[in-house]
Amino acid sequence: MNALSFKHVGKMYRRSHLGRVSETVGLDGLDLDVRQGEVFGLLGLNGSGKTTAIKLLMGLHLPTKGAVSVLGRSVPDIEILARIGYAPEAAYLNRSLTGRENLRLFAALSRLPATGREERVTDMLKDVGLAHAADKRLSEYSKGMLQRASLAQALIHDPELIVMDEPVTGLDPLAIKEVRALILWLKGKGKTVLFSSHDISEVEKVCDRIGILSGGRLARVMAQDEWRGKPDALEDAFAASVKRTDGVGEIRLG
Amino acid sequence: MRPLAAAAAFAAAALASGAAMSARAREFPSLSELPATPFTLQDASLASFGLRAAAADLAWVQMLQYVGASLPGLPADRPGRPYDHLLTLALRVARLDPSFHRSYLYAAGILGWFRGVDRPEEAVALLQEGIRRDPGEPLYALYLAALAYKQKGETDRMIALLESAFEDPRTPSQMKTILANARKARGEYAQALALWERILETPRDQAQHARARLQIAQLKRLMHPASPLPSPPR
Amino acid sequence: MGTIKAVFDYTLREHLRHKVWLGCALFGLVMVASALLASALARDERARVMLDLGLAANEAIALVSVVFLTVHLILQEVESRAVFLILTHPVKRSNYLLGRFLGTLAAVGLGMGAMGLAHWALLRLLGWPVEGSYLLAWSCSLAKIAIMGALSLFLSLALTSEAAAMSFSVFFWMLGHFSAEMRFLAQKSGNALLGAAITAFSHAAPDFAHFNYRDAWHAGVPDPGWALAAAVYALAYCGACLALAAQVFDQKEF
Repeated sequence: MNALSFKHVGKMYRRSHLGRVSETVGLDGLDLDVRQGEVFGLLGLNGSGKTTAIKLLMGLHLPTKGAVSVLGRSVPDIEILARIGYAPEAAYLNRSLTGRENLRLFAALSRLPATGREERVTDMLKDVGLAHAADKRLSEYSKGMLQRASLAQALIHDPELIVMDEPVTGLDPLAIKEVRALILWLKGKGKTVLFSSHDISEVEKVCDRIGILSGGRLARVMAQDEWRGKPDALEDAFAASVKRTDGVGEIRLG
Repeated sequence: MRPLAAAAAFAAAALASGAAMSARAREFPSLSELPATPFTLQDASLASFGLRAAAADLAWVQMLQYVGASLPGLPADRPGRPYDHLLTLALRVARLDPSFHRSYLYAAGILGWFRGVDRPEEAVALLQEGIRRDPGEPLYALYLAALAYKQKGETDRMIALLESAFEDPRTPSQMKTILANARKARGEYAQALALWERILETPRDQAQHARARLQIAQLKRLMHPASPLPSPPR
Repeated sequence: MGTIKAVFDYTLREHLRHKVWLGCALFGLVMVASALLASALARDERARVMLDLGLAANEAIALVSVVFLTVHLILQEVESRAVFLILTHPVKRSNYLLGRFLGTLAAVGLGMGAMGLAHWALLRLLGWPVEGSYLLAWSCSLAKIAIMGALSLFLSLALTSEAAAMSFSVFFWMLGHFSAEMRFLAQKSGNALLGAAITAFSHAAPDFAHFNYRDAWHAGVPDPGWALAAAVYALAYCGACLALAAQVFDQKEF
């Protein structure tokens, strides 16, 4: 069974300035299925449509055409959000609240029952290694601590599907290792994980399948056995599938 | 309910309740009725920020300033015509806040009773405006009647009438001093003393307390010439 | 209800940790200065001037606070992307708006309460009589502030520019106090079309001219029917603004 599915999804951004309308393609007929219980990586260059796909999934954007469904329901659907955990590329948390208050807020928003909510918050703070800083305001947190707080809010309600946007971008090697361990732990618990990344080496270590996005379309889907034990297979497939959309030419040496 | 439908329902409720509210609310005079003064912009600005009572308060303080000395921005009085602008300034207060009773009575007191002012027709105009704006206010009619007695030279009746309102909280302290001085001028020292003592006992008349102490001592000396002179108020 | 309360709680906490109490300190200074001024200049009307200036200062400071806070309320969360995390949880956008609005109103209301209490206590301490209902005058001010908060919130979402939203809010505040003048003007215009347009405009702006018990205080006790109609009016006007804000916010993509 599919955990999520994109059917011919298009997203066009229209901007109007002084009467001039400009259009940018976010997604262009995306077809993609992610199975329940798998770890799926979305690979692509900047502007390839990774974040747009995730925002459509989370109801932050509306598709211009096509349909998106998650856990058997069409989105946007507020109810389905109770079963999804979302960690954006940076910790977009309220810095004037403490770590505990933030987590309490997201536990309440995720409709965790009031009884046992406080224990869940305390446990989650321990799980992500923030117990010692639970009552400090987020304005005093380091980048690594903020990232952990962001992961904690995504997992507080024990979701079935976890969506991570660029989860390892900007992290130090130790933190990257911890995120990798977390993804594998979630997979071990039967959760579905969808994450986007630029980092091919990271993706190939944890994913069951990957999808390569280019120009808002799914250029290729690969399963683990297509790259495991084959050095550079994923990198070569990626280079062959994508085309630059940022107007920058290739580097030619010699 | 869709937000737009909810907005329409709320807007309809706001229109209906707004109509009921405005029908029951106290209406203020239109700003176009404000007398022309150099302070019109000040008044309109304050009123447009919802500070009409505060605008009336400021106009009252400016009127007091005018009565006490002079008000910057206002043309000087014509020679031999003291308090030339008092009626205009009092009307300004009244039209900003028609319920500012003491302003009508204070200005009418000066226009009608101050020695050397002699503008009873202006006092009458002001009190009539007060009656028109607030027909339920008895002091305006009482002052009009007192003015009529004064014009006819029936001072006893005038004093008796004004004294009947002596304890009314709206009676300006300055009007009380006019009454006490009227008694004193008639040689009725005991009655004058009693009035000054009542002024001294009234916290609201604090502005006249120093004067009251001085007058009480003077009256006591007049009544009992052996009593010592008071020290002047600081 | 639970999500509204969660959003309300964090909004209130956020405001209390930031700016609202600065307003109270400023009010303290204004009040002491006005008391000195009043006792020096107003002679027989010291109590009246002190009462009017205190209530006016309370309302003015609350107005500045509420317009500033509500105009930034959502736009700042969009700017910092904190709204991403809230809206990727099962929260209706209208509930999020309502929680944010009520939290802000509660913060400003607490500030107004503290200011009102200090003002009233000072009047009593000086032994100056307060005839009429201080509570009613304070409540009317709070209702005006609630209306302005809802209106500024709607304007901030509809106009997207904070400067424009603040300017229009101040414009509507002034227009609201001119509603009686506008209807008077409509009667005198002699042109049916112009008259109808002015009347319609006067109804679109909040009717503060007939709402201002603070200004009508010295005219005596108001009709109980007026107080009831005013309460319904405040609720309905706030409701209309919030529903329009929800309509605009529902269409937004982040």
